[in-house]
Amino acid sequence: MTDALELAERALAHTDGQALARVVAERSLSLRFARSAATQSTAIDDLDVEIMVLRDGHAGVAATNHVDDAGLRDAARRAADAAAVAAAHAAAAGPYPSPPPGTISEGLVGWDPATAALDPGEGAAAIEAAIRESTRHDQEAFGIWSSGEVTHAIASSAGARLVDRVTDSYMKVITRDARERSGFAAATDMTVGAIDGAALARTAAAKVGPEEPVDLPPGTYTAVLDTEAVGELLSFTAALAFDGLGYAEGRGALTGRLGEQVAAPAVTLLDDPRGPGTLLRTFDADGVAKGPVPLLAHGVAKGVVHDIRSAARAGGDAVSTGHAIAPGGSPEGPLASNLVLAAGDAADVAELCAPIERGIYVTRLWYTNTVREREALVTSMTRDGTFLIEDGRITRPIRDVRITDGLLRILSAVEALGSRQRLVGHGEFYGRRFAHGVLCPAIRVADVRVTGGA
Amino acid sequence: MSTRAPDPGILSLLRDRIDAAPRACTYAEARFVGRRFEQVRVRNGEADAVDTGDSEGVGVRVRAEGRWGFAATREVTAAAIEEALDHALQIARAGPASPRAAEPLAPPSAEPSRGHWGSACELDPFTVSVEEKLALLLGAEEILRTDRRISRGSAESHAMRETWALATTDGVACTQVRTECGGGLQALATDGELIQTRSYPAAHGGDVALAGWEHVLGLDLLGAAGRVRDEALELLTAPPCPSGRRTVILGGEQMALQVHESIGHALELDRILLGEAAYAGASWVAPRDIGTLRYGSRELNITADATLPGALGSAAWDDEGVPAARTLLIEDGVLRATLADRTSAAQLGLPASTGCSRAEGFARQPIVRMTNVSIEPGQAGTLDDLIAATEDGLLLETNQSWSIDDRRLHFQFGCETAREIRGGKLGRLYRDPSYAGITPMFWAGLDAVCSAPAWRVWGVMNCGKGEPGQMLPVGHGTAPARFTDVEVGVA
Repeated sequence: MTDALELAERALAHTDGQALARVVAERSLSLRFARSAATQSTAIDDLDVEIMVLRDGHAGVAATNHVDDAGLRDAARRAADAAAVAAAHAAAAGPYPSPPPGTISEGLVGWDPATAALDPGEGAAAIEAAIRESTRHDQEAFGIWSSGEVTHAIASSAGARLVDRVTDSYMKVITRDARERSGFAAATDMTVGAIDGAALARTAAAKVGPEEPVDLPPGTYTAVLDTEAVGELLSFTAALAFDGLGYAEGRGALTGRLGEQVAAPAVTLLDDPRGPGTLLRTFDADGVAKGPVPLLAHGVAKGVVHDIRSAARAGGDAVSTGHAIAPGGSPEGPLASNLVLAAGDAADVAELCAPIERGIYVTRLWYTNTVREREALVTSMTRDGTFLIEDGRITRPIRDVRITDGLLRILSAVEALGSRQRLVGHGEFYGRRFAHGVLCPAIRVADVRVTGGA
Repeated sequence: MSTRAPDPGILSLLRDRIDAAPRACTYAEARFVGRRFEQVRVRNGEADAVDTGDSEGVGVRVRAEGRWGFAATREVTAAAIEEALDHALQIARAGPASPRAAEPLAPPSAEPSRGHWGSACELDPFTVSVEEKLALLLGAEEILRTDRRISRGSAESHAMRETWALATTDGVACTQVRTECGGGLQALATDGELIQTRSYPAAHGGDVALAGWEHVLGLDLLGAAGRVRDEALELLTAPPCPSGRRTVILGGEQMALQVHESIGHALELDRILLGEAAYAGASWVAPRDIGTLRYGSRELNITADATLPGALGSAAWDDEGVPAARTLLIEDGVLRATLADRTSAAQLGLPASTGCSRAEGFARQPIVRMTNVSIEPGQAGTLDDLIAATEDGLLLETNQSWSIDDRRLHFQFGCETAREIRGGKLGRLYRDPSYAGITPMFWAGLDAVCSAPAWRVWGVMNCGKGEPGQMLPVGHGTAPARFTDVEVGVA
């Protein structure tokens, strides 16, 4: 792999004035399978060089994957032109007086050599184990095994020299029987050794029972949301409630509500990129150091996350919390990508279900999307294992249902949380691989709004 | 016209490497993609972003021992492509053993695809200065903010040029250049409590076409801005859309999303054959349904057409070298065909691919994707004619939210505006409309589609599928259409 920091320094050398160069280099291997057979195998070795130039506090950013001097020089020129144009059309100085103060660090805390080896044999073995296990249950296996090594390097005119090399491994298994019933399990970890294809298939297959699914009418139900569903909802909460740009622009669900009780007292949530069990990260795309940020403490709204751009827009004492996802800040805002929901004391899903007379158990949610931003109202379908809870026990499968509900309402109706957290990873990787996830337990929620079914 | 072919040396380089592919490969392809993009965005009177980028590389896909392997390299050299070939072969061979014999690929075409094609582009967007683009966008955006209740005005333009070359072991050797360009604007209005959005000409970044800067000029952003502002403000005092079962007319932009989500994705053959069941999902359509399934009313006629001029999903060849074609997918409401690549076509025993294999950039492998999936024009005249012929209903316009299940059966969509229709006339405005349905029942309620003059192509930029994820632009030709007995106001 190209030495990422050396490349960032070469890119920086083509700039003048205040500037920052970031290199994101990806090596990854993804093996897909369907109907218990290999379908697609994808190996990627690519990088992005992003150059940010500052003019009067305004940022111009250009990207390239050309690493020769001509390509870097051209990108630096485009970034300078963009910054000059932004400054010329602004009424005032921009939010970037300079790149963050210079620090020097090289992080390998989130890196595992066995994972970085990207061994296709290891992936194939995990898939074969999953297929064997699903076959044992008379089901077919579908899914993906994916491992990657991503290096982030930053060099800035303020003297920063930062490297963060991380690995991640992800596997998802869906098993399906001849009646089109399906179950799901997934695992995300920094190390490939933690991925157990057979165990995932066993968990998924266990959700496909002999009973025929029943229809559930629209209404409100007490629900037990397993970890995958909780992770999905919290990821949307990150965008709709904890995005500092949305907050500053008055679009956010927490606008004007910091300090208020917005969730149940049992809910404590933080963004913790250095905590145990998360995918460790040391700095953001602006080179700002990452650290834990309290978001909800016993249900009270404590804060939102910022990049330099959103903090400047928010004003007051807002500062970057290290959540830029692109140099100069994304127009979409900063992102809390290491959410950690504190565990509760319910031993397992069965204990969460125990007090429910009639409710639903949801394995995972699919195609969640925002309905109304300010209300953090989302809609989503259940998938791959939705069940009726009757008299305190999971009894029969139900056909998938649509849930349309407010995220803060859901958090305010949390009755209990599981004692075991699981890292719910996002393994689709549109664009450059950016492994992140939510560490969370399963939860029990009152009055979840079911608005339809398939 | 901008039809500059890539450096001829690149195609030669790909052909040489493919000709030398190891004999273990029963099939191999090498695809070069060079991309240049620019996005200009203004927000509240300032140049919010002038993002530019370029990238290039080669993706190599091989088939060996019945399995696929794909490797990508950003280095466009013989050595790097050879290394990628070896890597692709290695990971194909390392894949898990299959319980079933692999089918051969469907043939690419009668004669191997050769030559060069370039999309139409009258005004090269990369020769129009950023200053000129900003002048237009800032001018339109300023009109949005002439009322203090507009808390955020924004406008943007997008340009992308993709240079492409493909060589395969079955003789394909061709190049193409595609230029995309478009834009739009959006007003966010607030009274301190409510927030309402109005977009033009489409939500989610505006409307993009396979065209040059002339497409942006044709949108007349300056002329539209005042109306967009006024409609955003009007929404602040509009009541919520009442719920109930109603007749609805969907505007053309919302029809594009409706076709995209509940027809286009459902007819992707890899989904039907369960190849995407682990991520994008399967389909409510089964292989046995092709030729017999009643998908909707007799008013429903759907085509996939990669030859549509100016449409985002158009090209001369797909990413397997299959020539662009027009395929009738649904005829008078009955399912006739699906979207297929060479692998899925062979799996189902079809004689040929329907030319729907596409990949995002060089570092992703081709999979089954929509090209331009369109509803054909009907006979209901103009939108005004259709409204006049509607006694009681709602006109829903401009997508705001969307969600559909993994079989493309149950959907729920939201729009920016709803207008009441009473006695053939438009009435009061409602905010936050949403509607839901079950795909075949919803399309069974289609009772009128506007005629050809009301039909136009829309560009959808954010179609996601695949693992690793791929975001591709697709086109949808639509006209406003009317549906009966629709569940409205579910959100």
